[in-house]
Amino acid sequence: MPLREQADVKQVETVLNEILNINSPPVARCRLLSSGFNPGHTLNITENIAGHKECLACGCCIDVCPFLFREPSRREKTEQRTSMALEIIVGADCDQCDACVLACPQVDTTIKNYIVNRRMIEVMSRLEQRIGDEDEPDLDLFAEEALS
Amino acid sequence: MDFELSDELKMIQSTVRDFVTEQLRPLERSILGRAADLSDATMYLPVEKERELMGMVKDLGLWGVSIPEELGGGGLDTLGNCLVEEELAQTIVPFNFGDVTPILFDCSPEQREKYFAPVLERQKYAYLALMEPGKEGFEDMEMKAEKTNGYYSLNGRKASLSRAGEDYFAVVFAKTTLDRKPRDGVTCFLVDKDAPGFAASGGKEKAGWEAQVREPISLVFDRCQVPAENVLGEEGKAFHLGKKWLPARRIVRGARCVGAAQRILEESTTQAQTWTSFGQIISGRPSVQAALADIATNIHAARLMVYEAAWRADQGQSLRREAAMVKLFVTQMIHYVADNAAHIFSAPAYVAGLPMERFCRDATAMSATNFALQLQRNIIARDILKGVKVG
Repeated sequence: MPLREQADVKQVETVLNEILNINSPPVARCRLLSSGFNPGHTLNITENIAGHKECLACGCCIDVCPFLFREPSRREKTEQRTSMALEIIVGADCDQCDACVLACPQVDTTIKNYIVNRRMIEVMSRLEQRIGDEDEPDLDLFAEEALS
Repeated sequence: MDFELSDELKMIQSTVRDFVTEQLRPLERSILGRAADLSDATMYLPVEKERELMGMVKDLGLWGVSIPEELGGGGLDTLGNCLVEEELAQTIVPFNFGDVTPILFDCSPEQREKYFAPVLERQKYAYLALMEPGKEGFEDMEMKAEKTNGYYSLNGRKASLSRAGEDYFAVVFAKTTLDRKPRDGVTCFLVDKDAPGFAASGGKEKAGWEAQVREPISLVFDRCQVPAENVLGEEGKAFHLGKKWLPARRIVRGARCVGAAQRILEESTTQAQTWTSFGQIISGRPSVQAALADIATNIHAARLMVYEAAWRADQGQSLRREAAMVKLFVTQMIHYVADNAAHIFSAPAYVAGLPMERFCRDATAMSATNFALQLQRNIIARDILKGVKVG
């Protein structure tokens, strides 16, 4: 639930790409690059928490992680559901799918848009490579032949 | 718009339907096993029985109907093939009318005599060696072939899901040029059973419970020498083989799903009309009626889609998008149908030894291809977006 004035990706693009290229869950670092908590979403509390960037411990990143889905036993290593817990239990086994960043309520939408539009396009190009152009052979047709 | 099949196609359809009903369906029990523990279940029909059925089909003039005329087949069009496969898919008996992979349609006249004709006559088995152990796709193929003195030296391992037999040869895809894109630089070789450095193991026919599991054949090539005349098609153009026929095969596979779904509907209807619960025939229950209606509607939609795509193929139109749509819809349809049928059947759909269980299991296996479906979505979306300029 970030602030209305969110991080300008152009200013943080180099750092952001560096973070996303590291083989470790990037959610916590992306959260720190974001604008922080929007007070409009708080309940009735006196403390001013606008702009705070702490993890809410909602556990969305842990629930969405495909690696933990494949190896649920790692989840049992801790009861914590924070981004730090995610980093510790997944570590270098991270698939770098960036799903944790997209699931985090504390990460700015501008950063999420950047990931979807500029980073995830690589996945689509991998698919494209497998299908080929209109006049290029479709390798999947050969896979079907091999399997049937 | 004419939805009526031609007289010739109607005749073929009814001939195949009669053959399946009279000759193949009575053999289902011997495939599934008669013993209480299904220890006598088999993967394939006995060779003598297959020969007998083959003779019958030849007498009907339908052996090799899907093979082009120039290769000695019936040259039936895609719609006709769909009708034949739809009928054949209505039984679990593994028997076809002389089906040969279109990859072999590009054989040279000499190769045709030595390899293609024996495969069509079921005297030899072709082991399609495309996949490699532990590899998902073909992009990072490791198998290499180096040319020296008119021979190619093949090195690597392959896994094949083709049917194993006494006399066989391997259709091997190997990299001949290493610095190209995955689609290029791959050459197809026909490797004889007794070629030096070639060994095949596994894939033997299992009996009993294990007959349900198809074990891959493991193919090892250790400096295997293959003469240059055994190259199928052009060097480095293996993925261009069968280009003319392969896209239509996707539609024919769709027809197989429609046939299997039709049999599931038939079995479900019989079950609904004969099974009682709480003193009432279950076909009287609205939920069962709704399931039957949904199954029938889905099959009807899929069938129309398959026939329309097949008609397009026969008109010589581009069918990349239509074939992708058929695969996407039909794969989801067969899963849906099996799921609903399981509701009508309650437990018996999962009882081993019933044709219904085999159909439902195959249907679920067919639909467990999420990545392949995503590829189809990608093909369709790209075709929709082609030429559309935004902004």
